[in-house]
Amino acid sequence: MYKAVIIGGSAGSFQVITRILHSLPASFPLPVLLCLHRLKHVRSGFVEALSLKSGIPIIEPDDKEQIKPGKAYLAPANYHMFIELGNKIALSTEDPVNHSRPSIDLSFLTAAQVYRDKLIGVILSGANRDGAYGLKKIKDLGGLAIVQDPNECQVRTMTEASLKMTPVDHVYNTSEIIRFLQTIKT
Amino acid sequence: MQVTDQDLQFFIATLKNVSKYDFSEYSDKSLKRRLQKILEDYNLDIFSLIANLKNDRAFIEKVVKEVTVNTTELFRDPPVWHLLRSRILPRFRNNKTINIWHAGCSTGQEVYSMMILLNEMGMLEQAKIFATDINIDVLDAAKQGVYKYRFNLGYLDNFDKVIKQNPLNFEEYNEVPYEKYFEIDKVKDTITMNKFLSEKPIFRKHDLVTDGNIFFAKFDLILCRNVIIYFNYSLQNKVFELFHSNLYPKGVLLLGMHETILGPWATKFEKLGQSYVKK
Repeated sequence: MYKAVIIGGSAGSFQVITRILHSLPASFPLPVLLCLHRLKHVRSGFVEALSLKSGIPIIEPDDKEQIKPGKAYLAPANYHMFIELGNKIALSTEDPVNHSRPSIDLSFLTAAQVYRDKLIGVILSGANRDGAYGLKKIKDLGGLAIVQDPNECQVRTMTEASLKMTPVDHVYNTSEIIRFLQTIKT
Repeated sequence: MQVTDQDLQFFIATLKNVSKYDFSEYSDKSLKRRLQKILEDYNLDIFSLIANLKNDRAFIEKVVKEVTVNTTELFRDPPVWHLLRSRILPRFRNNKTINIWHAGCSTGQEVYSMMILLNEMGMLEQAKIFATDINIDVLDAAKQGVYKYRFNLGYLDNFDKVIKQNPLNFEEYNEVPYEKYFEIDKVKDTITMNKFLSEKPIFRKHDLVTDGNIFFAKFDLILCRNVIIYFNYSLQNKVFELFHSNLYPKGVLLLGMHETILGPWATKFEKLGQSYVKK
């Protein structure tokens, strides 16, 4: 019944996302869209680091790439990553939003418009407010919203901003997020 | 107020009517977002925007500048410049002339990066640099070669990575002073390219959608980076055809880090790293 999972994270999210990806079975039935802020000078090696323990392949997609289930798509450094009708990625070098490129808000917003009530949005630890508005749009369009428990977050700004902006379905710690994702069947 | 598909079509049709600009094969989504931003920034509704476009040529240029994306930086994506240095440019070392076209050069940072690299490789004299953009305002900025300093500290990091370090041996370090190529004025907050660079390229207004090859020359190297991501599939193919027919055999096309040739033109090129070599 769901068509995609989208995850946004910033400062303090790297270990969480590593654990989540590690826990996913190779047969995971959905595409996983990842929009993570990274330090500007750490542009290479990030995919490799995430891939080390991941249960599913991680791709830094090209523009207009087809989105497939069972793969994770990581927004490339210094590009915004949009989701377009027809299950395609679109990249853009437009100005940063919330001082961020990629911007989580933009990825979430465009994914919400494409997948509507068939989308799961997850906000993890982070030090700015990017993603809060995007998560609200996912909720507004009928999708499911999950926020990492701020008490577990290394930096709680992003999760708290999200919780302030919209009522969410679940506030989970990392283990609970993992358990939830593992129960997803198509 | 949200821009509708109808608003977008209205905008595209008007622009096509009152100017040479044809955005009908740009990617809808990105164009819609840009249009939305313009309406918000100018505090106009779609009808007032259209009315202004019909009456004011300067306004058309302003809007086209805003509609198109002009992100660029000095030595953007250092690995690409390492590829140019180690594998692409050496192919042309023995040419009497090297023709290079920067298609969609925006405010010119890529053009200056290329000239700096060519100069370090001792190949600048034999190079002819052509640089084009759809928008006259950004071309003016490119000709000036003056950039903000504090906002662009990353330029210096990139310069160090590409020009000072040897990518094949990180222990090797060439002390190349910035003043060799540009002057930094911390008070005025500017980076100003040296005259021998800013006077070299031929800058021309050019629209990839309508203008073909305006230089009566063929090219050894065409750079068109982060431009075609804003085009739809059919327009992308037209642009690949234009590039292919204007490259010399074994000429190289360099796209953005995450742009690829999809479709029929892919077979007419061979990959070299992330660049495309004409078969």
